[in-house]
Amino acid sequence: MLALAGICLTLFPIVPGLLWVLSPAFNSATWVELVQDGQFNSAVLSTLGSAVGSTLLALIFASLVTMWIYPGRGWSLAQKQLPLFLAFPHIAFAIGIAFLIAPSGWLARGLANLLEWGSPPQWVSIRDPYAISLTLTLAIKETWFLIWIMATLLGEQAISRQITLANSLGYSRRQVWITALFPQLLPRMGWPLVAVLAYSLSVVDMAVILGPSTPPTLAVLSWQWLTDPDDMTQAKGSAAAMCLMLLLGLLILTGRGVWWGVKKLYRNPSGIRQPGKIFKSRLLGGIPVFIPGWLSLAILLLWSVAGGWFFPKLFPASLSLKSFNNADFEPMFTALWIGIATVLIALPLTLAWLEWGSRKHHGWLYAPLILPSLPIAAAQYHVLLSINLDSTAIGVIWSHLTWTFPYMLLVLVGPYYSFDARYLCTAQALGHSRFQACLNVKWPMLIRPILAAMAVGFAVSVAQYLPTLFSGGGRFATVTTEAVALSAGGNRRVLAVQSLLQTALPLCAFMSAIVLTAWYARNRQGLK
Amino acid sequence: MRTLSIKQLKLTKVDGTPLLGPLNFNIEPGQVMTLMGVSGAGKSTVLNWLIGAPQPMFSVEGEAWLCDQRIDLLPTEQRRIGILFQDDLLFPHFSVGDNLAYALPAQTKGRLARRQAIEDALDKAGLSSFYDRDPATLSGGQRARVSLLRALIAEPQALLMDEPFSKLDSTLRQQFRRFVYERISERKIPTLLVTHDAEDIPEGGKVLELHTPDSTATPSIVETSHSDVPHKITLNG
Repeated sequence: MLALAGICLTLFPIVPGLLWVLSPAFNSATWVELVQDGQFNSAVLSTLGSAVGSTLLALIFASLVTMWIYPGRGWSLAQKQLPLFLAFPHIAFAIGIAFLIAPSGWLARGLANLLEWGSPPQWVSIRDPYAISLTLTLAIKETWFLIWIMATLLGEQAISRQITLANSLGYSRRQVWITALFPQLLPRMGWPLVAVLAYSLSVVDMAVILGPSTPPTLAVLSWQWLTDPDDMTQAKGSAAAMCLMLLLGLLILTGRGVWWGVKKLYRNPSGIRQPGKIFKSRLLGGIPVFIPGWLSLAILLLWSVAGGWFFPKLFPASLSLKSFNNADFEPMFTALWIGIATVLIALPLTLAWLEWGSRKHHGWLYAPLILPSLPIAAAQYHVLLSINLDSTAIGVIWSHLTWTFPYMLLVLVGPYYSFDARYLCTAQALGHSRFQACLNVKWPMLIRPILAAMAVGFAVSVAQYLPTLFSGGGRFATVTTEAVALSAGGNRRVLAVQSLLQTALPLCAFMSAIVLTAWYARNRQGLK
Repeated sequence: MRTLSIKQLKLTKVDGTPLLGPLNFNIEPGQVMTLMGVSGAGKSTVLNWLIGAPQPMFSVEGEAWLCDQRIDLLPTEQRRIGILFQDDLLFPHFSVGDNLAYALPAQTKGRLARRQAIEDALDKAGLSSFYDRDPATLSGGQRARVSLLRALIAEPQALLMDEPFSKLDSTLRQQFRRFVYERISERKIPTLLVTHDAEDIPEGGKVLELHTPDSTATPSIVETSHSDVPHKITLNG
């Protein structure tokens, strides 16, 4: 019963909400209105361009980096940096990138010093009409995620031995990757790629900061329409949300079709061995992909402590903590308690599902991770509205659970299912009930992945923008909603402080998980 | 001559602790030298060094020569050494035939000619009509044979085997051993075999016993034959 409670609480209520949100889209007049809207075509093009472009670029970047540095010291170095950048919230990263590439950003300041410019150039480097800055920023952020996915796949010993084996057959490093490894890795990266594509298609927060504005991407347009008081405009928003889901389906089908064609190319290998170059040092190979992340963090830090900082100076004239002293910490505390409450509810639900739920049929629990978030957030709002829980803390926490629960499940499922069942059996044979055996033996032994899942769950909750906005009715300002709201204004110092606070929360959660695990296992070698 | 020669091989851990050596030995064409010893004695490290796989935990000094060419400085793909692991490691995205085609040198040109060469190899191994089979549908013994065929069809000048029989059951093990040794002897390939099991040692083959780093014994070579008690040859004094 407890196992099913998680599903009943987090996922089932969304189904009627989705039907409700999308029902106006089943009217042909709505579609006519949508297609005839002057913004529609450009919005679809920029959405497709940024979503497909960023997903493909992220895949190419992640593949190149892995091909270049795996295995070796460069790979270990990259692995050490990954957790920091996985915890770096999308919005904070986007704001950092905006500070870097804006006409008065660090990049322009560097060039101005070189070329002796007196004023910022007339660049349209952010919110450009072709969504190039959005595409590249999304691509870099998702590259880190895909490298992490590749790391989990490459951790298997069979893969590293296959590299040696294919090398011994006379194939160079590059050929081994292209002919033997990618065809095996890519199908296993299918769902993570769908998650990246779905995120890029429906992202609103990053698109507001970096994406085009006249017209915006389809997700932003849909969000604006869904929050409009006019019925017909709301219906158009529903149709646009459905359009996002259709685009996702279409792109998945296209991707599968392309892969089907590519697979044919691998038949009947010709046996041609192409000489590969021997690179003496691949140590630095993993660095370039993290440079935008480090620069983004550095510029956020600089702006948060900057005194006077006029163009074209590369560094502020003075440093002060004034921005921190005057900062509004309320959004941080709001995000903190919402995150803690969400994780504390999601944890028993996750453990109960893993212990007593179905092992075969749990794939669909990950649906929120591979569906566009906009229609789901709108569906949640309609459900809350119908039971008078909109704009309440319970409503906001519930809306966060929809994403926190599957993410925690995803992190825990591997270690949980590979746990040696004989430990539990031994505890039960000693006369303890299954619940007691879990409480005293299994869960303490799984403390490391459980704390890691809690940290991930907390980070996911802190990063929620649309659910907080919709379900909270605008009454709950968190670091995330605040950062997006401030991005429209001009005060870079305030924005930098909120972005850093948004980054600090998940980082603290991950560090706490590491410290607590180490403390718990301080006298127990077997837990390390 | 297709002889694999190891000269002055010394293994040291990254903290400077000596692990093995100096070792000198030759493996003649068609000969199988078996490398034995307890875990941690450095067997796999020697194998990995010979194939050119990364050795993050050890520093290795020494030279490896094959066909009068020094190979230890070459990248793996230029060494012309085949390897057989404990697992068959057939590429799952290829069919059985494509796994072999991947290894078959490009000198055999044309789709039909390449297919014929592979069909012939499969026939001789008792695997006729396996060309289009998915490797996942093969039995353990069949997979092991395809894996060996793949290593041999690439025409290696030497062969390394890392416990290739350990995952097979006893009957299959005997059959596969015979299958492997027949082909090695037929093609005159110098072979280095790493194993824990003395039954894997071929008749008349040489055995190199490695000792743990704290042992005072020096690595030694033992020659075996069908009936005689093996006699020992000390390599390094």
